[in-house]
Amino acid sequence: MRNEPFRPGRPTGIGKTIHSEKGETMLHSDQILATVEMIQKENLDVRTVTMGINLLDCRGGGIEETCARIENKIARMAGDFVPTCNLISRKLGIPIVNKRISITPIALVGAGFERGDFVQLALALDRAAAQVGVDILGGFSAQVEKGMTTTDREYIASIPEALAATQRVCASINIGSSHKGINMDALDMVGRTVKELAEKTRDQGGFGAAKFVVFCNQPGDNPFMAGAIHGIEEAEAVLNVGVSGPGVIARALERLISSAGSENLRLDDLAEEIKQTTFRVTRCGELVGRQVSKALGIEFGVVDLSLAPTPTIGDSVGEILKILGVDAIGAPGSTAILAMLNDAVKKGGLFASKTVGGLSGAFIPVMEDALLAEAVGKGELCLEKLEAMTCVCSVGLDMVPIPGSVDAETISAIIADEMALGMINNKTTAARLIPVPGKEAGDFVSFGGLFGASPIMPVRNVGKSGRFIAWGGRMPAPIHSFKN
Amino acid sequence: MERQMIISVMSKDRPGIIADVTGAIYELDGNLADLNQSVLCGYLTMILIAAFKDTITPEDVIAKLSHTKSDIKFDALVKVMDTPVELMKAQVPEKTYILTAQGKNRRGLVYGISSFCSQRNINILDLATTLADDQYTMILQIDLSSIDSISEVRDDLAEYAENTGLRIVLQHNDIFRVTSEIAMK
Repeated sequence: MRNEPFRPGRPTGIGKTIHSEKGETMLHSDQILATVEMIQKENLDVRTVTMGINLLDCRGGGIEETCARIENKIARMAGDFVPTCNLISRKLGIPIVNKRISITPIALVGAGFERGDFVQLALALDRAAAQVGVDILGGFSAQVEKGMTTTDREYIASIPEALAATQRVCASINIGSSHKGINMDALDMVGRTVKELAEKTRDQGGFGAAKFVVFCNQPGDNPFMAGAIHGIEEAEAVLNVGVSGPGVIARALERLISSAGSENLRLDDLAEEIKQTTFRVTRCGELVGRQVSKALGIEFGVVDLSLAPTPTIGDSVGEILKILGVDAIGAPGSTAILAMLNDAVKKGGLFASKTVGGLSGAFIPVMEDALLAEAVGKGELCLEKLEAMTCVCSVGLDMVPIPGSVDAETISAIIADEMALGMINNKTTAARLIPVPGKEAGDFVSFGGLFGASPIMPVRNVGKSGRFIAWGGRMPAPIHSFKN
Repeated sequence: MERQMIISVMSKDRPGIIADVTGAIYELDGNLADLNQSVLCGYLTMILIAAFKDTITPEDVIAKLSHTKSDIKFDALVKVMDTPVELMKAQVPEKTYILTAQGKNRRGLVYGISSFCSQRNINILDLATTLADDQYTMILQIDLSSIDSISEVRDDLAEYAENTGLRIVLQHNDIFRVTSEIAMK
């Protein structure tokens, strides 16, 4: 008799097994039902499949030639991308919510170009994204954590106009790292850029600022927007996947609590449930990603484990905090719960995937998470607590609407604090602040769709950090970067 | 020359059935290729594939099996397999899906869903059901190789669910493999 691996299961008659021919698969009915619950009631999906494309070979003699080469290359590489995603999605019965493209940081592609040229590049990227049916393209970016080239400065100067003139293009800039410290000159510039961007898109509530993220330790394989880039360490083209959102975890926890009874559960039981659910969720992401990349014939990159909320009710990281025991998001205990959540997500996901990467943690983007936004409105969640929470999760102060009256130096200083957290803790942090023109704390702003809505968050001590930002220069690399 | 036979056994469950059956095969110089067994409410059913020398007939196997000494006798059925299978090569078809249907227990549920499959030439590879409280759950592993449009099946299923009040989910087999097994092939 052929040797079969021993597969322990419940005694027959209690939990049955379902096998295919030759024990090729042997699925237990209780496991099948757990997965079915996840798909049916918990809206399991794949949040994003993002194709990274190298554009370093697209620099032409002039701006027109470069733009044409970029558009051609994106059309060539990603022409079948969206239809292929849709095909695999239909076959497996799992929705792929977003199909996106990330590119080599544009400041490298456009070396030697000037401000107006970068606006042309943004327009070309916008057209290219539209042509292949992609709603967002990331990588209008630069990496300036130690210093800025002449091109980098031209690029930064172009951001407000470039983002105001385009629909699909997202920008990000890495201004700090644990290895190199923080570029304070760039920090000063990005505070002003954020203000200018918001002003330029005043009639949309400052929406332009929602398409621009400032990073410390930016990963080159993050599939989530607005901060996705195709890092220079990457292959010609690569496919990265962002797994399903917090809703699946929230529903799994609710199901456990209602079936076992909260009096019979302890925190480690809940952490275990998060871990196991994340394992399943990650596996689905991995399966979808690998099948899409095989069909397209391009390399599979990473699964990003991040729990990315959407404004949809029931898809909130804030809700998980409430399920796990705080009655107000931002109440004492919120940071600890978030730390546990983030850790459990990683433990489940790392084992499920061959290659985990990107940001891989929980996101707490205020406008995109209905319960976080609600907590801001009730005055339960303040900027300082939000900042504390970013120490234990990815990514940072994300989609935070602040009064339009807050000055550029204060914005730079808020970003500086967030960058310092990332630099010292060897993690990615980011800031996406939206100074909503003409609005004050407590007023309401809505961008609609995935970008969400929220009351404006108050900022304390405005206008008191100007002298700090005025120094410029560099914040030296921290001591733990010297490991050679 | 060898020939493969398929042997089906049904009995009230008791210790020693598998030893009796496989012992009979052993004594006839048979080589057991595969075995699948299941116990439902105290009754055992077992299906085996074994290869015998071509001098052995199904009647010989039945005779040998009937000589086992036990108070509880079992029913056995033996057939020669028309097309011997390459056991190691058998794999689930590419379009294998898992269909789950859940609802309040009543007569005709399995009949209904299996007729749905049969009308569309969908082969049921495996089926397991459970009854908990008054909720009946059916899990079918089905082969949609003969189906051109999965979306059409989904639409039909949605209509069927609507008419019967069952909660029905159709997902690709791969989803369940990757979420339930440690190894990801």
